[in-house]
Parts: sequence; structure tokens; C-alpha cells
Amino acid sequence: MKKKVIYLAVLLSLATSAGAAEDKHSDAPAKASRAAAKLWSWQPVQAPATPQVKQNKWVRTPIDAFVLARLESKGVKPSQDADRAAFIRRATLDVWGIIPSPEDVKAFVVDRSPDAYEKLVDRLLSSQHYGERQARRWLDLARYADSTGFQNDNTRPNMWRYRDYVIGAFNQDKPYDQFVKEQLAGDEIAPNDQNALIATGFLIGYPDNYNSRDLVQRQYQIETDMTDTVGLALLGQTVGCARCHNHKTDKVTQKDYFSLQAFFANTSVDEKIAPKEKGEQEKKYEEAQAKYQAATKDIVAQQKAILDIYREAGLKYHKERYLTDSREAIFKPEAQWTPLDRWVNHRLANVTTDQDIASFIKVVAEDKKHPQYTQEIALKWAEYEKLTTQLKTFDNLKPASGSKWISAVTELGHPDSPPTHIRFTGVHERPLDEVQPAFPAALTDEKPNIVPSATSSGRRTALANWIASPKNPLTSRVFVNRVWAQYFGTGIVKTISDFGKAGDKPVNPELLDYLANNFVNEGWSVKKLHRQILLSSVYRQSSAHRADVYKADPDNLLLAVFPRKRLEAEEIRDSLLVASGQLVDKIGGPSVFPPLPSNATIGVDFNDNPSWVVSKDVNDHNRRSLYVFTRRSLPYSMLEVFDPANPQLVHSKRDVTTTPLQALTLFNSEIVFGWSQALAGRVINEAGNNEMAQVDRLYQILFARNADKSEKAALHDFLGKQEKIIQGKTADGKFVLSVPTGLKSAQVQNPIRLAAFVDLVHTVANSNEFAYRF
Amino acid sequence: MNNQSRRDFLLKAGIGLGGVALSGFLPNGGLFSAASAADLVDPLAPKSPHFPAKVKTVIWLHMDGAPSTLDLYDYKPELIKLAGQPIPESFLKGIKTSTQGGITKLFVSDKRSWKQYGESGAYFSDLLPNLSQHADKIAFIKSSVTVGATHDISILKLNTGDVNPGRPSLGAWVSYALGSANRDLPSYVVLYNNNQEPRAGSVNWSSGFLPAVYQGVAFRPGDSPIFNLARPGSIAKVEQRNSLDLLKRLNEKRAGYYPEDTELQARIRSYELADRMQTSAPEAVDLSKESEATKEAYGLNDEATKSYGQVLLRARRLTERGVRFIQVVSGPAVGVDAALGWDAHNKLEDNHSKNARMVDKPIAALLADLKERGLLDTTLVVWASEFGRTPWGESGDGRDHNPWGYTQWMVGGGVKSGTTFGATDEIGLQSIGKTVDTYDLHATVLQLLGLNHLKTTFLHDGRSERPTVVFGEVIKDLLA
Repeated sequence: MKKKVIYLAVLLSLATSAGAAEDKHSDAPAKASRAAAKLWSWQPVQAPATPQVKQNKWVRTPIDAFVLARLESKGVKPSQDADRAAFIRRATLDVWGIIPSPEDVKAFVVDRSPDAYEKLVDRLLSSQHYGERQARRWLDLARYADSTGFQNDNTRPNMWRYRDYVIGAFNQDKPYDQFVKEQLAGDEIAPNDQNALIATGFLIGYPDNYNSRDLVQRQYQIETDMTDTVGLALLGQTVGCARCHNHKTDKVTQKDYFSLQAFFANTSVDEKIAPKEKGEQEKKYEEAQAKYQAATKDIVAQQKAILDIYREAGLKYHKERYLTDSREAIFKPEAQWTPLDRWVNHRLANVTTDQDIASFIKVVAEDKKHPQYTQEIALKWAEYEKLTTQLKTFDNLKPASGSKWISAVTELGHPDSPPTHIRFTGVHERPLDEVQPAFPAALTDEKPNIVPSATSSGRRTALANWIASPKNPLTSRVFVNRVWAQYFGTGIVKTISDFGKAGDKPVNPELLDYLANNFVNEGWSVKKLHRQILLSSVYRQSSAHRADVYKADPDNLLLAVFPRKRLEAEEIRDSLLVASGQLVDKIGGPSVFPPLPSNATIGVDFNDNPSWVVSKDVNDHNRRSLYVFTRRSLPYSMLEVFDPANPQLVHSKRDVTTTPLQALTLFNSEIVFGWSQALAGRVINEAGNNEMAQVDRLYQILFARNADKSEKAALHDFLGKQEKIIQGKTADGKFVLSVPTGLKSAQVQNPIRLAAFVDLVHTVANSNEFAYRF
Repeated sequence: MNNQSRRDFLLKAGIGLGGVALSGFLPNGGLFSAASAADLVDPLAPKSPHFPAKVKTVIWLHMDGAPSTLDLYDYKPELIKLAGQPIPESFLKGIKTSTQGGITKLFVSDKRSWKQYGESGAYFSDLLPNLSQHADKIAFIKSSVTVGATHDISILKLNTGDVNPGRPSLGAWVSYALGSANRDLPSYVVLYNNNQEPRAGSVNWSSGFLPAVYQGVAFRPGDSPIFNLARPGSIAKVEQRNSLDLLKRLNEKRAGYYPEDTELQARIRSYELADRMQTSAPEAVDLSKESEATKEAYGLNDEATKSYGQVLLRARRLTERGVRFIQVVSGPAVGVDAALGWDAHNKLEDNHSKNARMVDKPIAALLADLKERGLLDTTLVVWASEFGRTPWGESGDGRDHNPWGYTQWMVGGGVKSGTTFGATDEIGLQSIGKTVDTYDLHATVLQLLGLNHLKTTFLHDGRSERPTVVFGEVIKDLLA
């Protein structure tokens, strides 16, 4: 009886939403979902037949037929192909995240072989830059950061290994199902595979506050983060909504939510796993660390002697400062630990450091009224502080970045999990019924096949197997839609992380299912998916404005025109580095700290460690943005203004906002201006002394084309006028000229004209044409 | 177009649509003509509130580290009477505590004295001799509550409404819902009197899941408050102007190929805005033209008050220039450990006398100055902190964190001045009666800006999000 009522309610709400959507979506999928009770995205992926189209010649891939069928039904013609130079700039930015070299542009433009496009696309996909660019998109979803966030924002020294794992996975074309399984349960499915362990970095990137006093709440919040992240990033489901109440639009109950959370109930993190083999990075790190340790051995030993006197009392003080329910676990003998107690105590051990003992000594020593105060502790503290000051003088010997350990998820060697309860309105202090791990009941009848091992619950493996199954209706659809959105700005389902009822329906459901089905059939090969899109006629279209399309389809949902796009934060910085010839093109490794603007005020954490120490190695200043240290409390300023991923949450879509702060960054930053000086030098080196040849070279580098007549005229005028202005500046004898850097030829040139040329280069690099890909 | 696609369309065009009245940015009755679309492409275009606003600007004074309001505003004769004794068990009902070694004896500094001020008769302690002169302007909230035992999560909640990072701060919501009133300055500015960024930094002025354009812009100390505001050292002003003219020419030529592309047009304009900001932002923080009397009033001639006074004087100048939301984070007082702020777990007397000295005179000057300039009626000044402090002592002469009952206050347009809302129990530990959580404070601030917190929404990952999460109630008793 109850079932019937629910069924009716679903029919009603479906009818309403279908009605609301009628004006923008085909009614075909709505009708289909009306027949079945399940939401369209929860139904199995179909294998739709390639539609018949009139303009057959335009069809290069099945994708084109699906897009063209829609266009023809609306009486709109697709656009002609983009010219080759525009195409290679577009494709290189999309696949690599940087602009192409003029040589690559030229080679492609003149390549008359019938498979010129295939050769280009295969070259792009086989480069390591492909992995770098795709990794950045994935890291957005993994809310990747190199620090924990919250007030102290501790560095997570091993996270870069996960970033490198992701780069490698894309470059090796690791099948997506395996990629998902490793990230969710690498520790269970391949405990001896170091890469699979590192893969679980996906789960452990949650924001965390190491000084939290409420460890039971922490455990709940960490589970919550993992559940919500997996729901959004992999399944495109806003399951998090059902934590506090049954989902308002989707058939996800609070019970379903907590049943999902139960898969993570026994999940802890080990941040100190020794790597199997020491690579160059580890050796370098240990070498640096050994030097530091040798230099500070005596000071550290003296400090340790002081700490040892108060260690027991300090530890007790530290432990007593946790909240009541945490304290229960902390002061319980190990023999009596429940799985939750185990989690709490592991956490405590992970976050307790000598600094906590020192804090205790400080509190007592600095307060004569403190009950534990003695003259001795005051003296010892004074001595300790003196040693700390001495120790600080050796800070420059500390390894600047990198690590000797790896981090991974662990279940602490136990197969039994803490119980998971439904929580009243999501509040952790108000547990209701206990639940077992299960998949959302309305989505699937499938029951998890949980096989515990001696050391792990097997829960995450069961979850991973369900998510990465060809039968899962969401996983493949959500992923292919993300890749589509990456190329076309908008997904086939516009709400790319919400495939629920409140999200949008696919504008082209057959295309979505074709892509998803084909993706699974091709062995979940991500490269093949990219390749097919890149070689499609849809992707090859020109982005030129068409009044007829603008009128018929102002939002360009049907894709009769290629949608131009503002470059993403990393693309802008990295392409400027490429243009100026300054890019240090090294793949992977510990994150780097490029310089900040001169008026940056850098804070310190509770242990007096500054949150940003500019890398000593200047090569690190010009690495790709993917390698710039992601400090949650201090986004890298140059990237921050261009709508980068917010690392606190799953970041689904890069916004495009246009602000004066962006203009200030690109026009005024000394760093960017320095790159323009280097670009000016490169241009002169490569083009010789003819100014108009220089202008052409500049345009080839930045825009993959030559300057036209009117542009050349404008630039020529500018040089003349700017030269006079600079000349005027020099009149009082006090002036600085910014001339091109890196000039190879020693011949004397007019420095004022050269300074004007730097301004020209800087201005052209600031233009819209550079910041967009068309 | 249904709402979802309209919102997306507007956002793509650079305009976020929350629960903001449509008429606010569709002046021609809801139709987009090419011209108006181009005018509206800036996401910070001014938007109409839901109902007439009482105030134009909010100055949000965050007392970092959490002051003991039991030593500033919340006079408790019973606590004084019981000082030195163990806390009666009855007061502890319903709370989880974490004080080391359990709860110690109730504590009152022997230096504390209390007096009533103004017609309202509000109590102030001896620590606030200047602010107390403004008693009749203030609406006290003496039953503030929040969540959390550590600063970071409670500061996040104070600013963003959640104990986990990721939500937009209150200022970001305001910027999103109302746009900018002065295109030459950021609409949401963060100030701090410290030579380094406040801990946890930008998550407390983050735009969260709103577009990044709505995040707070931290004004750094010094003449050039914004990153990259100043031209590269070697470039002269006219030289840059000539470059900007060239840029415009090149951009406009290319824009001809994309006649309907408002985003490209917006980018052309952003360089002109940036050019104006190069002048307007340094001017906005330049205190050299302020009178000697003003400087003296804000405490600029005294080391103890100088840094905070400068920041509040900057706040007043930004208020005059139409900045919507000014978030002021208090820095360390002279002679106080930089890491502590108001966080007096021990030696409260020493800590609070220095911190109170730092803020007392400047805040009093700010209120008087705003009043004198006729700005107080259109400005809201809020004293806020992540939590308060316990009536029992810690380490003998300090106080621990207290999220169960503390005082915050508001002054300004639409606020019922000279009143007190709510109360704590007899020893100042827990709020009694109606409590005011951070969500309620946010809802009330938004109300004064003309925004209904329930209708200020943004669709994110399938959820219609609002500043007050799923809570919040406007405290009507605080409104005039």
C-alpha cells in the first residue's frame, strides 16, 4: 500500500518537472521517464542508433550525426570548419592547457596529408602535457590541496604524489573504471601496489583541522566529506542534501545517505608510509634533512631533554583538552577499544607533536599563579625558548618541500567498522537507527558484496565495484559529460555534478548515451573519448559569429557554432610562460612556491612556520601552475583572480567572471611584465631587427596568425608615440628603462625604441585574443 | 526559459541572479536589448534589494581571538559574589566542556569595575571608557550563541555560517545580491591591523561556491592596498595610458567579429575600471588629508591605538565611497603575543586591558565620526566575535572559550539604539530565553540591507543555497 502512494507521488512530480522543462528539452526522454518510475539518469545507459541526417558529408564521427540531427530538425546548418591555425591553437589549449609553438602551427597548417588532423590529435594526446591538463580538471573534483585548511592550515607534504598519480593515470590511459577503483579502495584491492595506495589521496584531500578538540565530530565530518565528494564527483548526485533530511527532489532518503556513509566508517589515514623504493626525490629530501639534522643535533637534543622532563604531564594536559566523548576514548585502555575508539586514538597519535608538550610548558611557565608552576619550569622554558631561537637560524637548511613518506587510506588492520547511525537533522550528537552499508534503494536493487579481509572491512571495495561497473547508469554518463563540457563549455547535461531531478535534463540524451555506452565498450579509455571529440566536425567548427544562429539558438545549445571560451587561470599563466620562453617544462614532483606580489603579507602558523616561502630554486618559479603549492588559506594570487578551483569543495565548473582585478594582475604585475620583457627578447631574437617582422612573430606566438594591415598600422603608430613619451621621461635624467631581456645579439640598438617595443608586447599579450580561445 | 536556464544565462552574461528582484537589473521590463545586455554584463552591476534598505554599508568588526564580554559588557553581580567558589552544578546543565582538568573556580579580576552609561543605563566595564560614551547608540545582543570549541571552526561559522570551509562569507552574499555602489573600488573589502594576514586567511572572506568575483578583497597595509595596483616600477603614467589606448583599439577591432559578445566587451571595460582603480584605491586609504583632530580622535597619535585607528579610519573612508561590506579583523595589540589576539586563556587582565585599549578609542571615534558626517543612519557597525569566554577561570587568571552565551552588538541605521536584547544566566555562562546564533545575526544584517535572507539564493550542485544555510531568524526586537 505504502509503495503505491510513493509511486503516485513520483509520477506527479515527474509530470510537473517534465512540463516545466518542455520549452527547452526534447519531450522524448520525459515521456520515457514517465513510463518508468526511475529518473532518467538512474535508468540503464542505452545504445542509441546513429541518426539519419541529410548533410551526410559533414559527419566525421557518430557524434556529428547526433548533433546534426538536432540542428537539421531546427533548420540550422552547422558552421564551416575553423581555419587550421585557429584549430591547432584551440586543440592545444584544450588538450595541453597551453598555446602551441609557431613551428607546430606552421607544420599543421601546411600539412596536406589526408590524416593531418589525426596526426595532430594523436600527437597532442601522446604528450605528457595531456596528462597535466586532464589532471588539473580531475584535481578540481578531488578538492586537491597541499594543505589541510582551517586556521593552522598544516602542510600535507605527500599530497603531490597523488597529483602525480593522476597525471600518470591520464597519460597511461588507465581505464577509468580502474582509476575509480584505485582511488576509492587502492589500499584494499592492491595493498602491495604503491601507486594504488597513493591513489587513495582522492579520499584524503578533505579539509581538516588538526587542532580540533572534538575527535568524534571530526570522524563524522571526514566521513561526510568522503561521501559527499564521491557522490558529486563520481555519481553526479547531490547525496549530501540527504544528510540532514530526505532529499527534497531526488529519491534519496536519510537512510540511503548514511548507508553510503557507512562504506567509509572504518577509514583512517596513514601519512607516514615508507615508499618501497627511494627515488631521486626521496634521496634529495633525506639528504637535505640529514644536513639539517646534523646541524641542529645538539639543539634538538637539548630541547628533547627539556621536553622529556614534562612529557608525561604535557601529554596528560594535551589529552585532557579534548571534549568529553573524545576523552572517553582517549583514556580507555587499548584492550577495550571499540572501532571508533581505535579511530580516535589513531587520530590523536597523528596530530600530537612535541609542540603540544612545549605549549604545556609555556602555559605553566609563564603563569606564576598556575598550580603546576615552579621556578624550575620557568627556567627550563626560558632555556627552551632560547634554543628555539637558535634553531630558527638553521631554517634555511630545512628541506624546502617534498617528503620521504607517502599518505594513504588505511583501516588500521581491522575488518570491523564503527557503527553508522542515521543522525537527526545531520547532527552528530543525535544518532538514530543504525544502518548497514547499502546503495540508494530507489536507484538500484543491487546489494553490496562486502568481503572483509583480515585487515580491512572490504566496504570501500564493494562501493568501488558498484560505481565502476558498466551497469552503473551514472558513472559513465557523468564522466563523458564532464569531458564534453571541457571542450564545449557546457555539458550535454548542463548541471554537470547534478544528474538528479533538480538538475537539468540532457539537451541531447541520445548523444549522451552514445558517448557513455561507447566509452564503456572501448574499455573505459579516456584517450579514445577525447580523440573522438577532437576529431569530430562539431569540434572543428568555426567560432565566428552567425546572426542566424544567434537568433535561432541564442544560448548555442545545439552547437551550430563553436563556443569560444576564456582561458582558465592556469592556461593564462602557463601560456604566458610558454610565450615568453620561460616555462620550466618538468613533469611532476613536490609542489613549488613562485613569488608573490611585493605587498603580500605572509602569515605564520601556530608553530611560526610561514605559509609561503618562495622557492630558492628560480626554476621553480616558472613551473606550470598545476605544480604551484595549493595552500588552502592562501590561494596563489596570480591564479586566484581568474576563477580557479576552490579547493575546499568538489569544484565542478570553472566560472568566468570579468573583473578589474584581473586587468590589474595582467597589466601591472611585475612578474607578468618580466615575462613580456622576455617575450620581447625572444621575438627580436627570432625575427631580427625588422619591426614588422617582429610584430608578425609576436602574433604568431600569441595568436597563431600574422598581424593584419590595420593592426600593423596601429602598432607602428604606437611605437612612434610611445618612444616620444619614454624620451620625455628620460628628460630629467632619472629614469628606468624596461628593455627586452635575453637578447642574443650584442649589437647596439636604440634602448628607448626597445622599451617602447616591450610596452607593445605587453599590451598585445593583454588583449582579449590572448585570453580567449576561439 | 525556466528559472534554471535563465539563471545560467544571466550568469554567463556575467550577472548572478539570486532571489534578487528581477526589476533590479532588467530596467526595461525584463527584455534584453543588445545595449542593456552590454550594460549589465558586469557581475557587480548594482541590483535592487527586496525591500527598501536601511543601510548601505556594513562595517563588520571581528574581534579575533574572542574577548570576554563578561569583562566588557555583561555585568554579573552574582558572579562577583561567587568568585573564587566552585561553579554550582545547576549552571552546567546541557553543555559539553573541554577545560583542562575539569572546570575550575569562578573567576573575577580584582581590577574590574562597572558603571551605567547614558539614558539606557547600559553597563560598561572600566576597560571601555570611550565606547561607553556611545551607550545610547548601541543595541546589545547579550544572548549570542554559536557552535565550536576552537577558534577556527567558530570563526568560519561567524563569517560563512558553517564550521567547514567552502561556504560564501556574509560579505560575498551581500556583494552578490546587491552588486557594487562604486565601480572604482571593490564592493567587499577586508581590513586588518596586522603585518600579516589573519590566520586561516581568505576562507573567511571567500566567495565559496559563488563566482570568485564576489570574494572579499584584502586591503594590505601601506599606500598600495591591492595586489598589483601600482604600475610596474619603470612605467610612467602617460606611458601606461598610451598602452591602454592601444589595447582598447586592438580589442575593439577584434570585438567587431563578435558583435553580440558582451563578455568580450566587459573585458575591454575592465581595463578602464582597473585604470580608475589605480587612482581611487590609494586615494581611498590615504589618510594624509584627514584633519589633525580626526587623527587624534582615532588614536593615530598613540602607539597603542594607532594601527587599529588607521584601519577604522580607512573603514570610514571606504564607507563614504560606497563600499558595501567592510570586514575588519582585529590584529594583535601592542605588547600582546601576535598569535593570541583576545584569546586570554591566562593573564586575562593583561591581555584584555591592552586589547580593549587598542579598540576602545578608535571604535568610539568611528561611531562619532559617522554620526557627525551623517553616515551613521545609512551604515551598520557590528561588533562580532567567534564566541565569548567562560565565567570560570583557566590557569588561575584566564578564561576558556564560551560558545553558550556572550555579547555582540550593532549600531546604525534601522537599529533600535540604546537597547539590550537577550541575557545570559546569573554567572554569564549560558544564554537564557531567546538566543541569537550567527545565522540570526546574518539574517538581521541582511534585513537591514534590504535583503530577505530566505530569498537571497544561489543554485549550487542542485541545492538552492542561502546565506543562513537552513536556519536564521531576523531579530525583530533589534530593529527600530
